[in-house]
Amino acid sequence: MKLIFLFLMSFLALQVNAQEQRMFNPAGMLSLGGRTTVSLFNDHKNEMTGTGIGGQFRLRFSDAVNTDWFFDYITSDILNYAHRTDYHIGWSVLFYPINHLAYFHQPKDFKPKFRPYILAGHCFDYSKIEAKVSPLDGPMSAERWSSAVQAGLGTHLELSPRFDISLTGQYMIHLGNHIETDYDFTTGALSFNEHKGASLAGHVLVTLSLNYKIAKLWGFTRR
Amino acid sequence: MGIHQKITGLFLLVSTLIYSQERPSYFQPSLLRASATIAPTRFYTQQTTVALINGFVEYALENRISVRGEANIMAPNGKLLYTNSPEKFPRNFISIYAGFGYHLGKRNWKFDIHAEPGIAISEMAQQPFLIVPVSYQWGVSPSYMLKVGTSFYFSKYCHFFAEINYSNGWIRKTPLTSVSIAQYGISAGLGFHLITQKHDE
Repeated sequence: MKLIFLFLMSFLALQVNAQEQRMFNPAGMLSLGGRTTVSLFNDHKNEMTGTGIGGQFRLRFSDAVNTDWFFDYITSDILNYAHRTDYHIGWSVLFYPINHLAYFHQPKDFKPKFRPYILAGHCFDYSKIEAKVSPLDGPMSAERWSSAVQAGLGTHLELSPRFDISLTGQYMIHLGNHIETDYDFTTGALSFNEHKGASLAGHVLVTLSLNYKIAKLWGFTRR
Repeated sequence: MGIHQKITGLFLLVSTLIYSQERPSYFQPSLLRASATIAPTRFYTQQTTVALINGFVEYALENRISVRGEANIMAPNGKLLYTNSPEKFPRNFISIYAGFGYHLGKRNWKFDIHAEPGIAISEMAQQPFLIVPVSYQWGVSPSYMLKVGTSFYFSKYCHFFAEINYSNGWIRKTPLTSVSIAQYGISAGLGFHLITQKHDE
């Protein structure tokens, strides 16, 4: 009888411990946010720094794994003869490598803190390049759909239990068709050439986002 | 003035002070505030100052965090405030932003910081040289706004605010060089607020 009682007690202790762990479990947390992006070191010839805006939602799967689902609208100049518009829609997996440290568990007295992460993901990309000065027979442009992969580093600055600012630096490689612009500086003649097949054209994206946790879709949070 | 009148006067003064100390903190989660005002704004790369009509709506999510949306519309003939007659400048200009705010300070006097991504919608002439008639085209450009300000909540429904903002972006849909819409502006006035949920004390 004593043995059974001890067994039940130990089982109860495990339950309590599990509940304590569940209290800090962020899985299922859904955030909504806005973002602004700077596109640097573009692979396109003569393309200058681009700027963009977008939105994202963030869905957390476990203590160490989060996901970003984003949309970006980025514009940039190709010297003064054309301009380029990029639309990115994709997702990234965020991994928190030092999430297990006690520094990150502050359930009662919240203090702002940094939470660094590694991210990698995939996106679909629509690009359109338009001539600045249209020829007499109408606007001149070229467009393409492609796919891309991206990876990088970032950190959240958690300013409250539900609000964070995130800064991310990543390199995005476009896979697939690409457009080249040829511009003759003597005659001012511009032409677009579409190339089929894979190419490893890419750019660095620096993104600043503001995110607020709006719901917990699954899991338990003890009050 | 007799001693009784002095004591009564002092009592009334003290009771007024106590009342003012017990005034509740109006800025709290669920506060919804809005206002509209005229915001003089300087497009410093074009050396042109315009009058923008600015309107915002803001909702306090937490004691320090709020979500905010705002819009600016260039007033008709708004660029007549001060202009250097720039070669390229939008004929019409609208900007829309949405983001978050962080509020510092205790009780009813707050210092606010806002970061808001957004878009600028502008109508630009499309010929590189002066050709009559000029054709115009609307375009949408990514933009962002940073804003600092202060607010004083002096009653249950009204507050004063004063803000300085900086925003930036590029209008790409122009002939030859793109046009910067880097600008700074000020806005101030009377705002209105409402606490939308009751909280347990």
